[in-house]
Formats: sequence, C-alpha cells, structure tokens
Amino acid sequence: MTFWSRVSSWLQAMLRRSRMESEMDAELRFHVEAYADDLIRSGVPRPEALRRARLVFGGIENAKEECREARGVHFVETLLQDSRYGARTMLRSPGFTVTAVLALALGIGANTAIFSVVNAVLLRPLPYDQPDRLMQVWHTPPQKSFPGMPTFAVSPANFLDWREQSRSFEGMSAYGFGRYTLTRSGHPEAIRMVAATVGLFSILRAQPLLGRGFLAGEDEPGHEHEVVLSYGLWRGHFAGNPDIVGKNIQLNGQAFAVVGVMRPEFDFPISSDPGSRAQMWKPLAWSAQDRAVRDNHNYAVIARLKDGVSLPQAQAELDAISNALAQAYPNDNKGWGAIAIPVREDLVGDVRPALLILLGAVALVLLIACANVANLMLVRALSRRKEVAVRTALGATRRRLLQQALSETLLLAFAGGALGLVFAHYGVILIVKFLAERLPRANEIALDSWVLAFTLGISLLTGFAVGLLPALRMAEADLNQALKQGLGRTATDSGGSRTRNVLAVSEVALSLMLLIGAGLLIRSLWVLQHVNPGFDPSNVVTMAVSVPTGKFAEATQQINYFGRILERVRALPGVQSAGLIDSLPLSDDGSHQPFSAEGRPTAPMAELPEVEVRLISPGYRSAMHIPLLSGRDVDDSDVAGRPGAVLISESMAKSFWPNEDAIGKHLTLYFFPELPRVVVGVVGDVKMTAMNETQPAPTLYFPVAQMSVPRGASWRSFGMILVARTDAAPLSVVPAITGSIREIDSEVPLLNIRTMDDSVSASLSQARFTMLLLGAFAGLALLLAVVGIYSVMSYAVSRRTNEIGIRVALGASRGDVLLLIVRQALLLALIGSVIGIVGALALSRLLASQLYGVRPTDPVTFISLAALLMIVALAASYIPARRAMRVDPMTALRYE
Amino acid sequence: MAKPIDLLQGTLDMLILKAVSLGPLHGYGVLLRIQQISKDRLEIQQGSLYPALYRLEHQGWIASEWGESENKRKAKYYRLTAAGKRRFQAETEKWNRMADMIAGILNTTPEEV
Repeated sequence: MTFWSRVSSWLQAMLRRSRMESEMDAELRFHVEAYADDLIRSGVPRPEALRRARLVFGGIENAKEECREARGVHFVETLLQDSRYGARTMLRSPGFTVTAVLALALGIGANTAIFSVVNAVLLRPLPYDQPDRLMQVWHTPPQKSFPGMPTFAVSPANFLDWREQSRSFEGMSAYGFGRYTLTRSGHPEAIRMVAATVGLFSILRAQPLLGRGFLAGEDEPGHEHEVVLSYGLWRGHFAGNPDIVGKNIQLNGQAFAVVGVMRPEFDFPISSDPGSRAQMWKPLAWSAQDRAVRDNHNYAVIARLKDGVSLPQAQAELDAISNALAQAYPNDNKGWGAIAIPVREDLVGDVRPALLILLGAVALVLLIACANVANLMLVRALSRRKEVAVRTALGATRRRLLQQALSETLLLAFAGGALGLVFAHYGVILIVKFLAERLPRANEIALDSWVLAFTLGISLLTGFAVGLLPALRMAEADLNQALKQGLGRTATDSGGSRTRNVLAVSEVALSLMLLIGAGLLIRSLWVLQHVNPGFDPSNVVTMAVSVPTGKFAEATQQINYFGRILERVRALPGVQSAGLIDSLPLSDDGSHQPFSAEGRPTAPMAELPEVEVRLISPGYRSAMHIPLLSGRDVDDSDVAGRPGAVLISESMAKSFWPNEDAIGKHLTLYFFPELPRVVVGVVGDVKMTAMNETQPAPTLYFPVAQMSVPRGASWRSFGMILVARTDAAPLSVVPAITGSIREIDSEVPLLNIRTMDDSVSASLSQARFTMLLLGAFAGLALLLAVVGIYSVMSYAVSRRTNEIGIRVALGASRGDVLLLIVRQALLLALIGSVIGIVGALALSRLLASQLYGVRPTDPVTFISLAALLMIVALAASYIPARRAMRVDPMTALRYE
Repeated sequence: MAKPIDLLQGTLDMLILKAVSLGPLHGYGVLLRIQQISKDRLEIQQGSLYPALYRLEHQGWIASEWGESENKRKAKYYRLTAAGKRRFQAETEKWNRMADMIAGILNTTPEEV
C-alpha cells in the first residue's frame, strides 16, 4: 500500500465514518436479535431471551472498539476524537493551558528564529550551479611573519602559475574590488565594481539576462573597457532599458561599453546587505609588468573543481605547485602556500561558532520548557486519576489511554509551535536589523518552507518529549486504588514526586548553564567596552575621499590634491585638527609590508619581517589623540626630497629594538626601496583590526608626501580617509567639511561618513548581539526554571498539608514549617546548581572563541550566577512556604 | 454432548474462512455454521467474532454486502474473495502439516526414541 493510497483510505474512512458506525450498530443488533429469536423458538420468554443474548455476546462496546481497531482506520479517527476532547479539557483549565503553551511557544519560537538564521547562513546552498564545487583559493602566508593569519590575498604571477599548472580545476579567476565613479549628465556617483580575469562567469555558470559575459582576450590591456551591469543597477540607473547593451557609459572619465546585464539573483561576491553588493563587473586586465608581480598580494581567487576531483586531491596539487614555486622563486615565495576553501566555508567561517552556540542555547531553552510542561502535565495527570480510572473501567485499553494523553500534549505542542512561529517572525526581524552588516547572506533570512518544516518537526518532538512520561504514568494508574482514593489527593505518590524533583533539578542545572554562558559573554563585552583602542574616538568624524584609479597621472598631483583638502578642512570653524590615513583602525583592511631594519641581517623578501604599514598625513596622530611616546610627530617638513621619516608603534619598537632606543634607527620598506627611512617617533599601540585584538599589531606610519610608486607596479591614484577632530557634535560639522571639499573637486564621491564612536561600536556589534541573544535566552531559561520550582513546591505543599497539620499540632512553630519547605527547595536548587556548574565547566570552553579578557572558567561568573539562581529558587519557594505556614492544623487534619 | 473446548489462539480466522467458503453468511450464520460443523464442541466468544470478521475484511480475504436474512431482516453477508480462497488453502496445508507433525511427536513411543 503506498502512502497516498493509505491516506486516501483514511480520508474515505473518515468520510464514511458515521455510515460505518451505524452499519456496525445494525450488524451487531441483528446478531443479538437473531440469537434471541432462536432462543425464543426454543421456548425462552422474549425478555429473558434478549437479556441472555446480550449476556452471551459480552461487552458490546468493547467489541465495537475492537472492530474499529480491526478496520484499520482507527488511529486517525481516534486522534481527531482525542484532539477534540483534548481541546475541550484544555479550555476548561485555561491557566494551565496558557502557561504550557506560552512556555513551549517561547522555546519553539527561539529555536525557529535561530534555525532560520542558521538555515540561511550555514545550510542553504549558495545561489550558483553546484556551489559545493566552488572554491576560494588563498595564499597561506609564512607564520613567522604573519602570526595567526590563516589566509592571505594572492599575487598576479602566483595566480597565473596556479591557473596554468593545476589540473584539478575547471577554471580559476582572480578578482579585486574597487570603486569607480559613474558620471551621468555631469552627476558623479560611486559604483562598486568587481574586476575579474576572464572566466569568472563560466566558473560561476552564470548566464546573463541580456547580452554576454566577457570574451577571451578581453583581459588584455587595451581591450578591457567593457562592463556587465547588475540587475539592480540596470533597473535603478538605466530604467531597465534593454537598449543599454552595446552603448557606452562614462566611468572614471573614460568610455566603457555595456556588454551585458546579469539576472536579478546573481550576486558575486556574496554580500550580506544590499548596500555592499557589486554593481558592475569588468575584465581585470594586467599589463605585462603587473603579470610579473609575485611579491604584492592583492587579489582574491575563485575556482571550480573539475568533476571527479576531490578537495584533498586539489589541495595536494596546490601544495605541490606551491612547493615548486617556493623553490623557483625563494625570494618571493619561501613559506607561501596555497589553500582551497569551499566558498561557503570561506564566507561563514567567522560566524559559524557564534551561530552554533546560539543554536545550542535555544536547544537548552526548549529542553527546559519541555521539563517545565512535563512537570505541569504530571501534576495534572495525578489530579485526573479518577477520570482515567473511570475510563479504564468502561473498557478503555492502555494503548488507547496513552494515545489520548499523547494527543493532548501534541495539541499543546502544536499550539505552542503556531505561537512560536509568530514569536520567531518578530525575532527574525530583530536579528536581521541588528546583524545584517555582520552576517553574510543576512538578507536571505526568512521563515521559508524549510524553517516551517523544522518548526513542525520540533513541535512534534516536543509533544512526544513532554507527553510520554505523564502519559505512561496516567495509563499505569491502578484502577482500584484510584477509585477508592477519590480525588487521590493524599495518595502516596513517591515515584511521581521523584520524577518531578528530577525534572526541577534538571531545569535548574540547564538554566544555570545558560546563565553562566551569558554571564561570561556579558563580562567579556564589559571588558571589551573598557578596552582602550589606543585613540580617543569621541568627537572624531571620518569620511572616505574616494579618488578613482587614474584620476591623477602622477603621485605629486595626488599629494597636492590632498594637501589642499586638508588645508581647507583645518581652517573650518569647529574643526580642531584634521589628518589623512589610507585605512582606518578597526577596519580589518590595510597593508602588510615587509621591511628590513638596520642592524638586522638582510634576508630574501619571503623571510623579511612584516608589519602593518599605514600612509598618513601630518595631523593624523594628533587628530586621533594617539599618544606620542618619544621622538617627534611627522610634520609638513617631511616631504619628497627630505630624509624619509616614519612613526612606529610601541609594540613594533619593543619587538625590533627591545633594549635600545628605536628613535634614529634606519629601515627600508621592501616595496619602496629607493628611500631609506628613519624612525622619528614612537607612538602608542592602536587596535588595528578589531577591539578584541589580543596582541597589538606592530605598525609603521609614513607620510603620504614621501610615498612613491611601489616596486614592480605602475602608478595608480587612490583615495584616503579624512579624519577630523571637532569641538563638539562631530556630525554637525560634516556639511561644512563636505562643502569645502566640493569647492576643490565637485565630482569626488565622499563615502562612509561616520563618527569614530560608531566605528568602535560597530566593531563590538557582533559580540554585543551574541551577548544580547544569549542573555535573553538565559533570562527565559531562568524564568522557566522559577516557574518549575514554584510548581513543584506548591504541589509539594498541597500534598504535605496533612503532614504539616500534624507537625503544627505537635508543636512545630511557623519557622519550623517555613524551614521544612524552603529546605526542600534549596536542596533541589543546590543539586541543580552543582550539576549545572559541572555542565558549564564542560561546555564553556566552546565559548572560548567568543570571549575576550575572561577565562571560560571564570570563578566570579560561576559563583555569582549560582548564587543568583539559589536566591531566585528561594524566592520561588517563598509563596508556597507561606501557604504552608498558614496551615491550620484542624483544617489540615480533616483535609482529604 | 462433550464438554466444549476453547479455541486455539489464531484458529478463529481459519474457521471463519472455512465457514464462508461454503457460501455467503452473515455474522450470526458464521457462528452457527462453525458450531454446526464442530458439532457444538467448540466454544466461540461471540464478542470476538466481529473484530475477526472486520480484520479479515480489512485484509481483503472476505468481502461483505448487505442482503436480506431468512426472516426478512437486513443483514450483512460475508463471502470468500479470490485472495481469501488462496489464503485459506495455504493456511489449511500449513495446519495439516503442523498437526501431522505434532501428532507424530506426541504418538512416539519410548521404544521409537
């Protein structure tokens, strides 16, 4: 029987249900009457005959029930019947129902929300054909020069060798991200452009909506003035006009031919929010000189594995090629490897631990909610023992009782699931709102069919988890005892109360584990917020002055241009000081460069030490309030033609000249060998990549006025970031600043205008959000645990009313009674806390990657949260305990 | 009249199939036919007859339709289906083999061991 024929038989059976019932009645009635007729014929009087016929037939309801079961449609039918009955019972006790549904809804809702994030970010395939075969290929840099840095961008010559020598890949394409200025009717606009070597679209197997991708040979210099538009840009800027294909547009003052338009779903590289999606793609055309560059690493590489080639095979081949390259070019490549990482892993590697932690946390919340509701159900099952006994007496089988009890909890779970979906809907909106920037593919988070299936699945699971224990106990109830005991209030129910105690203890333990996790994150965030970034972020505004590649033919033109801008900005009222830098602290980008220092042995490039290198203007250090520890700041006298001046950070001074004065030491930057430089000042360390940087990054600053064309490259103009310290309210000065820059250059795009305070806060946003979510879940868990302890204690008090009455009658004081109850609650909380602490010790190392300045076993957090939980448990038992204190011995002894 | 013996577990189905193989019967008729064939030596729980009928019908070995009884009352008649016939033959063979074997074992004398 196939699944569908079975379903249709069920459906038909349900439709025919009433007919079958009446037919069954008629058939059995016929039997009894026919038998009675035979008896009458043999001389038995009619009433006696009927009576005897029924007696001989036996329990007619029992037989009917067995017949229904034999008919095979029993399950669905009784499920409906049970659900209707269950719904009626639940409506009769709204307090219980609301508590249970709410607890389950919170648990299921939290799980659904987090799962929908996990689904979009970690599980759903990327929007490409066979995305599992797409690999990101990176360099692995020598660990001596780049401690802790797992991957590194790729140099053109190495990429070309990989592409030529490897046999594991269908295709390999290098690409870089840049900003271009699109000018339409004199109006400039910054466009996010991806320049890629030919083959990108075929590697991604992406078909354009209109026109074509790039042709072979278009990445030769001179042939690269072609662009493919994104669907969004085409609709937004060119009104979706298909005639645009073949026309020219103005980019950076040059004509580019539009050759194609991509489909709406196409996105490369994958970005989290629409504000950072690529808007155009152009061929990446390297000159012969560019193609020879092996030591300057600036590109990302994507590749597609050939059919039948496994990742380890491809990796082995890359290793072999890298080894050969390191031997052929030891100066540039010694210690440099290559690694292929599946694109999805490359994309989400950073957020996966945080998401998995949250998933684990919500699973714990749901477990606690289940324990809680199971507890409530157990108490209810006890008070319904008489009902069960009556139903057993009327012929209900054990299986039937079990099924009925289970369908009630399933109904609860599904109600919880439905409400949980509503919670999840709003939860997801909140998550996307706070996390969009930090979470890849955040725009894809939605309650889709996978999430709905997940919710349905965990609702079902929850229903069984919650219902099985109470259902078994209910079905096992001893018929005779239950009927004798009436309401069963004073029943000796040691097995039941043990189960409830175990549930309460596990609730305490699980919620303490969550509390400790959240507590560690809170402490970590607190530490992070009080970390000194090395500069003073208040009253500082920053903006990118986006100079397109090719705007200035020579470096001196760019130097003069920025010099004029600085002059104008410094003169503005409200601006205290201003400076420039090529990439801001906390921005996770910026240049690493090798250098050779005086008094240290010369070495091939691959073995030279690397430091962070930043281009600055005079005034940057003072605008940021980075302390000058010794020597002098760079100033307007450090220009071309003068001796090269550099500032170095304290950590750089310490690691390269540990026991001497770094001032006056000579060094040479590998990429700018023509100008020897001298250390003129040592400045404080700054958090270069993120607030949770544990080791300060050794950094070297040199003045933009002393820059030159890097070794092996040709001159390309580039943008810088303006940093201005203001008297007050930095954003209020922004119009004046942008106005004065526009007076110098009306076409330059000014981007990412924000305060330094915002940058600091954005750097903490993921940590803050993980903490907030985990904190919320821990709070939820605590609430559920309190309800759990409260319900166990209230039930214990009502069960022990008789005993308490006797104790009071025998002279126990109110204090004794209070102690009796509170002691029991404290014992539960204590056992739970001990288990919780052990569990947290085992699990908290999973949190280690998310912690800063706090150890995963931080005793302060552990002890204070365990204490908090004990106090809360005490409070939860106080109300039942007071009720116990007020027990009147006379009433209590009569209490039955 | 010999003392009636209880039905062996699982044999009721076979007896029902045998009863309806001789011609369509209503439930009460099945009961009477089995008692008649067994010469009242079998005790059948009347209440257990109907679940067995429903089960056999659900399995497709017997089919039912409403008809008129001897005394002009509406009654549900069961008859053997083709599948039921095959099943009945298979069950009968199995039963005979089993009965022979057990009888053989039980009749073994000490000398034969």
